[in-house]
Amino acid sequence: MLSSLKTRVLLAGVLGAASLLAQDTPLTNSQVRIDLPEDSPVAVMRNDTGTSRQIARGAAVVLDLNLSLTLRNISNNRIHGVTLRIVSQEVAMGGVGSVFQPGLNVGPGEAFPVHIATKLMRPMQMAGGPLLQVNLDGVLFQDLSFYGPDKLHSRRIMTASEMEAQRDRTSLKRLLAQGGAPALKDEILKILARRQALPQIQGRIVRGHVLTNAGLAAITPERERQETFAFVQFPDGPIQLIRGSAMIAGSDARTPTIDVANLTDRPVKYVELGWVLTDSNGRSYMAGSLPSSDPAFTLAARGMGKVTTDNTLEFSAAGKPLDIRKVTGFVDQVEFADGKVWVPSRRNMESDPLLMQVMEPSVEEERLANLYITKGLPALMDELKKY
Amino acid sequence: MRHPNQATLALHAGGDLGAMRGWWTARHVARCAECREGVAGYSEMRELLPELAELPEISWNRMAAEVKANVRLGLEAGECVRPAELPLQHGTVKGWRAAVVFASVLVLVGGCLVLEHPAPQPAHVYAAQNAIESTRDGIEYQAGESGTMRLMNGGAQKAIYTLDAQGSMGARYIDPETGSVTINTVYAQ
Repeated sequence: MLSSLKTRVLLAGVLGAASLLAQDTPLTNSQVRIDLPEDSPVAVMRNDTGTSRQIARGAAVVLDLNLSLTLRNISNNRIHGVTLRIVSQEVAMGGVGSVFQPGLNVGPGEAFPVHIATKLMRPMQMAGGPLLQVNLDGVLFQDLSFYGPDKLHSRRIMTASEMEAQRDRTSLKRLLAQGGAPALKDEILKILARRQALPQIQGRIVRGHVLTNAGLAAITPERERQETFAFVQFPDGPIQLIRGSAMIAGSDARTPTIDVANLTDRPVKYVELGWVLTDSNGRSYMAGSLPSSDPAFTLAARGMGKVTTDNTLEFSAAGKPLDIRKVTGFVDQVEFADGKVWVPSRRNMESDPLLMQVMEPSVEEERLANLYITKGLPALMDELKKY
Repeated sequence: MRHPNQATLALHAGGDLGAMRGWWTARHVARCAECREGVAGYSEMRELLPELAELPEISWNRMAAEVKANVRLGLEAGECVRPAELPLQHGTVKGWRAAVVFASVLVLVGGCLVLEHPAPQPAHVYAAQNAIESTRDGIEYQAGESGTMRLMNGGAQKAIYTLDAQGSMGARYIDPETGSVTINTVYAQ
């Protein structure tokens, strides 16, 4: 009887230990594949999966990847931005991610860190192989030249970001020259306050023309409506917004469509419109962008076109569905056929109170404000002098 | 006014009611401050318990079958290891035990059937097939049954999310590990 009990306890112990091992195991570097082209301007100096692990959870496995990379600039040009493409085709069919490091200023031979944190969930029975592939999608240099396969349109995204950065650095340098350190400090404090006061909005994109649950709950024939876009026009902008509308049902916005006109003599190959949502309490939120992602999209010189999508977007704020009452659009970015990119000027942005209320600080403003917080005003002033 | 019960409000907060019941509950909640508060409470609770949101899809039927099989295995194993010389027990006690086991299995199977109750939710099911959404700590892409991919914000306190209506979402934050501004984007291609 006693030996039977011992056997059972031993068996339970072995099973319990095996179960614990199966539940939480560390991941190795070999489970992440980093592919850089032979002529890549950056090289991997360090690849550390650190605390990455896989955890069994019911019939699924959760892969918690925490990848710390150190890349070195092996080109002869200063790097101002890098985008890495993250693919887990085996786990999330069709799901692709990217990690973009803007605001870099990395000289030849210098190194910089990139941190990738991702969580993948897959069925237990799925076959092995690299869990994650990291590829280089693009590198932007100081002179706005570009290297990379550009599968995620990194060239345009990084160029627009760099142009915004140049715009904002110029503005801050002018302030510093005119009003000295106190003026610069005041402006940074304003940026931080704007960042803090930014109304938070959560979103969800559902592919195709469907209603989400929130939309379904809110919808009755008389409540689904076609909402006409209000527009903020920039007098010196290359694109004029003609008319537009979106189907609104509760917190769902579907099939936004906007007619646009090219006011310039240069053909345009991409237009990105920002849109602002206002709820029933009169509170406005920056909802996102409506890009002309159709590869066939072009706007001839002085021509007209349409920017649209068939997807459904669902919005909530503070955990509650947003009761959308008004949609406002403005031109956020334009790429001409020659690859040149237009972004709104500070005067454009500051001319409209609604945009000033909802627009987040630019990437460069956020970077410089963070520098002020972590290293102080002298470090910020030194940073501005580098450009 | 007839109020929905707490279970219905909880399911409504999670968007897990069927079309008709969801519509009726939404109508009621829109007019009833008390129930609205209840739904808000459940929504907040869901925010506080992110781990719940990370639970994989559970097949209750399969779980019920596994539990039933385990109970049966346990009973059979008990029979195997029981010494042959054990004194016979009173028939009433043996019957009582069997009744408890039988009742437990019935309760379990019944519970599973209730939880598995097939409420029609076409929009929700469709949405779960292929959607991108912002979460408390990152952006998640749900790829139907093949899995999910989430790009995390690396422990950053406050990220700015941007939606691209063509099917991608970005999160901008200061990465605590590198101290740099980082922009993660997840695309549904």
